[in-house]
Amino acid sequence: MEPFVFFGGKGGVGKTTVSCAYARKCADAGVDTLVVSTDPAHSVSDVFDQQFGDSPEPVEGIDGLHALEIDPDEEVTAHLDDIRNRLSDQVSASMVNEINKQLEMAHQTPGAYESALFDRFVEVMRGSDPYDRVVFDTAPTGSTLRLLGLPEFLEDWVDRLMYKRRQSIDLFEKAAIGNNEPRRVMDGDPVLERLQERKEFFEFAGGALREDAAFFLVLNPDQLSVNETARAVDDMNAEGLGVSGLIANKLTPAPDDDENGRGARYLRDRIETETDRLDQVRASLDPPLLAEIETRTEEIRGDLLADVAAELDVDVDPETPSFV
Amino acid sequence: MDLSERIDAFLDALDEWLRGLYHGMISHPAYEKIEKEAEDLEDAFLLACFPDAFGIPSPVSYYTAEILPYIEDEFKAWERRLWDRNTMLERKGQQYHF
Repeated sequence: MEPFVFFGGKGGVGKTTVSCAYARKCADAGVDTLVVSTDPAHSVSDVFDQQFGDSPEPVEGIDGLHALEIDPDEEVTAHLDDIRNRLSDQVSASMVNEINKQLEMAHQTPGAYESALFDRFVEVMRGSDPYDRVVFDTAPTGSTLRLLGLPEFLEDWVDRLMYKRRQSIDLFEKAAIGNNEPRRVMDGDPVLERLQERKEFFEFAGGALREDAAFFLVLNPDQLSVNETARAVDDMNAEGLGVSGLIANKLTPAPDDDENGRGARYLRDRIETETDRLDQVRASLDPPLLAEIETRTEEIRGDLLADVAAELDVDVDPETPSFV
Repeated sequence: MDLSERIDAFLDALDEWLRGLYHGMISHPAYEKIEKEAEDLEDAFLLACFPDAFGIPSPVSYYTAEILPYIEDEFKAWERRLWDRNTMLERKGQQYHF
């Protein structure tokens, strides 16, 4: 199994439960594991009944398991402050105000939050050395797909910006005839350097996602969830990120055979529907259905997590990263 | 002043005049033109980096904000050119010397 494992799916299908259970399964097998929540509505803290922050903390009671919840707001502020500091070092006081306006505008756009989330998420992958496995509990399908598609998109964009910058510097150099000093110089241009750094960052993210990551989709045995999963599988394929497997969660338990009350009849009907939906999944979707987890009567925490972990037929052996 | 010195002085003056003419008629307009083209490209670069300044949202402005500390001169010149520029035709027209 790849070092980075992602669990995605529609809202409320149990991504957090499944990713925590899988993380626990890895940790129990002696694999040093970090579970990371990228969903702004964090619930990893709730599963382990312990508050996690933006840096990895050991999970109490489980050896070899750490957890962290990415906080994009903190990252946006840190990013803004960092640029502000460099701004006051480099830029004359009269221009600082002017440029500050631009700076604040860039940090208030809706995209800023997404970018900060992406930055932190790539930072976590970059700093994953102490762990053999990093499990990502992602946000619901739509936003995660956007997040995973970002590296390629942003790389293109930065490429175009660098091309434009090079063109204008080239002309400035050509315009400086005789002993004239060119207004901009290609060698050591700080703008190109910055853009290059960013380009490498996006390249790393894209490479890590393509080479060293496995994606699993969690679904519930109902039509909406099955349809959404089918779309997600297609979208992921289009991004070049294949889905390794599907996990069905919240299956209805069967009643005993001798029961015939209203409750038992309800359960049998429900099971019939669910069996049909799961047959659809097996027949029409490419990725294999790796686990069928029954619904529990209470929230999955503590010992129940170990039970669910046992039902997850997903490989845990760590693999040496090929890209990172 | 003997003849050879007068000839040298004449040649020097001629050389200066020819240089001046060449600079004024050929090289200066040429480099001015190139520089203006470079400025136009730089404007396009800045617009691509900071379209928010014109109310156009950009997915990369979070990242391009990182280069703000290094483009003080460009930023100033960009703003000035935006104020001064009336029409694109005028700007491009200035770059032709008939």
